[in-house]
Amino acid sequence: MWKKEDSKPQGVAETPSSVAPALASHRDAPAFSPAASQPPVSSKATACISQGIKIKGEITGSEDLFVDGPVEGKVNLANGSLTVGPNGTVKADVIAREVVVRGRIDGRIAGKERVQLWSTGQVNGEIQTQRLAIEDGAILRGKVETGRPVEKSEDRGSVTAGKPNGATVSAGTTI
Amino acid sequence: MTLLNKFGIGPASSGGRGVTHPGKPGAHDAAGTKTPSHGHGTAMPAAVGTTRAPAVGVESTRVSNGLKELMWNLDGLGRGTLLDMGGAWQATLSFFIEKGFRVTTDDLLRSWKQFLDNEEKEYRERSKSDQSLDLSPGGRASRFFESNIQYPNSSFDVVLLWDLLDYVDPAMATRTVAAITELLRPGGVIFTMFHSKKPEGFQRYRVADAGTLQVVSAQVICPAQRVYQNREIQDLFGRYRTAKSFIARDQLRENLFIK
Repeated sequence: MWKKEDSKPQGVAETPSSVAPALASHRDAPAFSPAASQPPVSSKATACISQGIKIKGEITGSEDLFVDGPVEGKVNLANGSLTVGPNGTVKADVIAREVVVRGRIDGRIAGKERVQLWSTGQVNGEIQTQRLAIEDGAILRGKVETGRPVEKSEDRGSVTAGKPNGATVSAGTTI
Repeated sequence: MTLLNKFGIGPASSGGRGVTHPGKPGAHDAAGTKTPSHGHGTAMPAAVGTTRAPAVGVESTRVSNGLKELMWNLDGLGRGTLLDMGGAWQATLSFFIEKGFRVTTDDLLRSWKQFLDNEEKEYRERSKSDQSLDLSPGGRASRFFESNIQYPNSSFDVVLLWDLLDYVDPAMATRTVAAITELLRPGGVIFTMFHSKKPEGFQRYRVADAGTLQVVSAQVICPAQRVYQNREIQDLFGRYRTAKSFIARDQLRENLFIK
């Protein structure tokens, strides 16, 4: 009898391990605890480069992008926003409307509207933006220029040709 | 509603020139007592998460006559350039950017620690027959500056060095001062602090206002190395034409050196 009851849950589909802690922490966490309570992927992001995918080349687009893996090259999202997740490492010059850094960016960041560095974020390079928010614990090595408009980057649509040996990702396409 | 609020990243009531305040330094209340600011109650964006407890806690605020003097020296400089070697703090960045400065941050101690760790790893990986790495303090410091703190000469008007020299070995301290001297423009100012007693922990400092610093306890990156005597400090900055010292009650000596 006992064995039967014990074995019952094993047959039931388990909650994915990645979701369970998120839900649990969401209950326990205070009002705002982004690192713990938010899902690993922004719900707003229409494109996602996850941890297991490595991109080398140029990424262009006009929608939002979430990067949680290694990216090397150039990122130009024009009017989209780039979120670098805690596992994301971007070695690239970044142009976007908004840049949120929870991982690491090595390169120049041009955030037209704003740049946010979370406590886990690390930036090695220049930041040029209208508004900058830095959470305690973030690491920044480089020059900061705020308060004046970032130079206008050309909006080349959602898909452009990348380098011959590189990958081109159009924001809006989930990989 | 300010424009910053409109974008969801601004403080409840303040303008600002582009840098939003995660925790507007709440130094003094009406009674003149000092209360630490933890960023609670500010209208910082939920997205940035500054309404939660900060990663490090503000322990106290302290009056800084050195900072007052520094600001007096910088009055009228206009759009100057500043290098903050104590890490990136929103409050400090906001303060100087609002004063018109172009700010660069480069965490000296963190970079130094990372460099030492890498060197140690490299040394271990080398074969016993090939251990030609110069591990003398001077050699290490020279190698550090070959790949770190790389800025054009005479590119800064102000360098905030805080108390970091207390946490590096004397050879590195000497080399750091030499490197910063090259980075400073003639007439440029270094703001630095030295402990009168060997500090047990490690603290970071951020600017609350023109005469107040917030003291933030932080994880020890490198242990304190030595306590400098006044004479030794003067020798360290011997190339500077003006030196001003301020002795505080909290075992800290604040110094301004003008190139």
